[in-house]
Amino acid sequence: MRKFLLLATILFFAFTGLALAGYPAKTIKIIVPSKAGGSTDTSARLFINAAKRHMKGANFVIKNVPGSGGQKGFEEIANSKPDGYTIGMMFTPQIVAHIVSKRARYTLDDFHVMGNMGKDPLIIAVPKNSPFKNLKEFIDAARTKKLTVAVNGIGSDDFVAAKKFENLTGAKFNLLPTKGSTEQKALILGGHVDGSFMNITQLHAQHKAGTAHIIALLDSKRSYILPDLPTAEELGYPVDMTATRGFVTPKGVPEDTAKKLDKLLEDVMNDPEFIAACKKDVIILKHMKGKEYHDYLVGLQAEIQKFFDSTPW
Amino acid sequence: MIFQALQSLMTPTSLFAVFAGTVSGVFVGGMPGLTATMAVALLIPVTFTLEPLTGLILMGGVYCGAMYGGSIPAILLRTPGTPAAVATALEGYPMSQKGHGGLALKVSVISSFVGGTFSVLILLLIAPILAQFALIFGPPEYFLLAILGLVGIVSMADDENKLIKALISGLLGLIIALIGTDPISGMLRYTMNMTDLYDGVAFLPALIGMFSISQMLELTGTKSIIFEPSTMKKIKREPFPKGLKKFIAIGSATGTIVGLLPGEGATIAAFLSYNFARQHSKNKKLFGKGNPEGVAAAEAGNNGCVGGSLIPTLTLGIPGNSVAAALLGGLLVHGLIPGPELFTKYGVMTYGFILSLFLANLIFLVIGLYMSPYFARIAFTPTELLIPVVCLFSILGSYAMNNSLLDIFVALLCGIGAVILQKTGFSLGALILGLILGPIAETGFSQAMIMGNGNYAIFFDRPQGIILWLIILLLLIPPVIQIFRRHRQK
Repeated sequence: MRKFLLLATILFFAFTGLALAGYPAKTIKIIVPSKAGGSTDTSARLFINAAKRHMKGANFVIKNVPGSGGQKGFEEIANSKPDGYTIGMMFTPQIVAHIVSKRARYTLDDFHVMGNMGKDPLIIAVPKNSPFKNLKEFIDAARTKKLTVAVNGIGSDDFVAAKKFENLTGAKFNLLPTKGSTEQKALILGGHVDGSFMNITQLHAQHKAGTAHIIALLDSKRSYILPDLPTAEELGYPVDMTATRGFVTPKGVPEDTAKKLDKLLEDVMNDPEFIAACKKDVIILKHMKGKEYHDYLVGLQAEIQKFFDSTPW
Repeated sequence: MIFQALQSLMTPTSLFAVFAGTVSGVFVGGMPGLTATMAVALLIPVTFTLEPLTGLILMGGVYCGAMYGGSIPAILLRTPGTPAAVATALEGYPMSQKGHGGLALKVSVISSFVGGTFSVLILLLIAPILAQFALIFGPPEYFLLAILGLVGIVSMADDENKLIKALISGLLGLIIALIGTDPISGMLRYTMNMTDLYDGVAFLPALIGMFSISQMLELTGTKSIIFEPSTMKKIKREPFPKGLKKFIAIGSATGTIVGLLPGEGATIAAFLSYNFARQHSKNKKLFGKGNPEGVAAAEAGNNGCVGGSLIPTLTLGIPGNSVAAALLGGLLVHGLIPGPELFTKYGVMTYGFILSLFLANLIFLVIGLYMSPYFARIAFTPTELLIPVVCLFSILGSYAMNNSLLDIFVALLCGIGAVILQKTGFSLGALILGLILGPIAETGFSQAMIMGNGNYAIFFDRPQGIILWLIILLLLIPPVIQIFRRHRQK
């Protein structure tokens, strides 16, 4: 009997030990807070392809939780079991904008931030036969008369970028909220608005085809997608705004598991095949490690809080 | 180039892709809760590994097939497989009840084929010109388009459905559509603190409830959908009704035009076509009681959307509706950027894809014609088998759309609500119109007001707007005159 107990004890510890060493022992679920087929979803699927190479024997499955600007998905990530088998994608500025507008039932403290994966800087676009040929003409015109510009909803990255321009230059915009980039594209291509704030990956194709004209990139450096496009900073308007896309887990994941996951993201970000696949798909990579990205999120939240306090939505 | 494209289409892989895509599309469309959008989105990761053309053909096949497939259960069980088939159900199901299910299916497949083929032909021949047409529609025009659709509520009123009741139903739809986030200010309206309601009441679960579940509730207590089994034998010999050409033409043209407007979907196309048909018909009285003209217009309308919606997608990179958006994602994955290059540099692939759509239409035509007598038998399924199966798929479909439990309750609630509404003579069609068009009207109106700096003149000083006003008046005058006449007679 004693031998049996001993054996059982050994087996017990051996197996739990194995289970600990053997993370991941089961399929890892990635919550994607947007529809299947969108660019956040595509990023997650490309990530899985690469992650399987770097975490041997690991299996991943995507759960799309679309709706309410990502909030439903963010909440589901925050509320899931912190065992390392549920991770999630998130995107800015929505994840912090929901906190600022007091709608979110989570705070940044409910997440362990694995790191950032990609970014999508904003641009200013005008119709192809617009009287404004460059950013200066556009801003000067907006100083004398309110220009109508399309943005993707109140509290979105487009909205914040437009507000930033108003604060910096004294320009005034008549903001036209839309349901998203499809509507914005139609408004710009049809010449129904004076301009639009949107993301570079949403309009670069139309710029290249000559059906719309992008006049400035709101990023610190030029983008490889449109190398000829000047940044707003170069043109004398230091405004920076970019959407980012990263990975988080719920707070409280065992420390060594969290480390493994952080390392996995790092490995994937350095994987040449992954980099090539993202380039083909026009996903702009930008790695930030957990701590750095967490600080970025905290800073972004404070910044958006400022806009919210002056004009709440 | 077209010849080369044809060659690339005639390979076994491509042909198989069209076939597999179309057949699975019909299946997906036929299941309540599974939609073409969902199927195409799920196919994107699969197409990563395929040749660009094969992937596109597959998605195109699913798109065409699903648009048709939705009409099968709509006609036989009044449970539309896709939202776009709701208008079909309004006429198709009464036909089934009278034992003309087989004929309704035949009308539906032929109209779908004609509408689909017409729109793809337009896409092939004059896509760039029409794309420019799509762009002249701005927010004020979308508002007017929604009003144009809402006018349909008035014509849905007839002797049995009183105008006042139809208007109340429409208003009820508009009220339900208010739930969610205000499109302009971002304020939350009637969301009761539930995140699931921030985007409004999910349309598909509401629809499943109102049609599928309510229908199953009404069927309890009957043996099968058709009262007299003896009518079944007649199905095969029933001749194709004459005079449908006009209605198929109306549907095809309306579907193509509505389809090419960014953001407007097949559901609206089908309803508008249905409404136009109702106005032009000589047998107005038959509408709502199983008029094949309604089926023809609605089905030509929703399939006409396919080619139409691809026009702005391929030429401008602006998806015509949610399925086209998913397809666009599939294009971009392969580095194919919509625009003129798609028709020149990558012409072989683009034309190959367009030509494959003709083939897809042909495939579902053959399947539909051959299978309709067999499909029609579904209507004879004993209810004790039919009800649980349909309910199961309805609940599953409601949940699967957004992975949301709340949606199941939405479906159940709408199901019970719909039964009550119908028993008291309120029109479900009017409610649906309000529900679909409410958000479009609201967004269009508020955006137009912002564009016009608060001046109503924006609705009247654009030529495209004036044309829409004229159509609205044309649609509104005949029913109003009729109502007056009826009033006098009393």
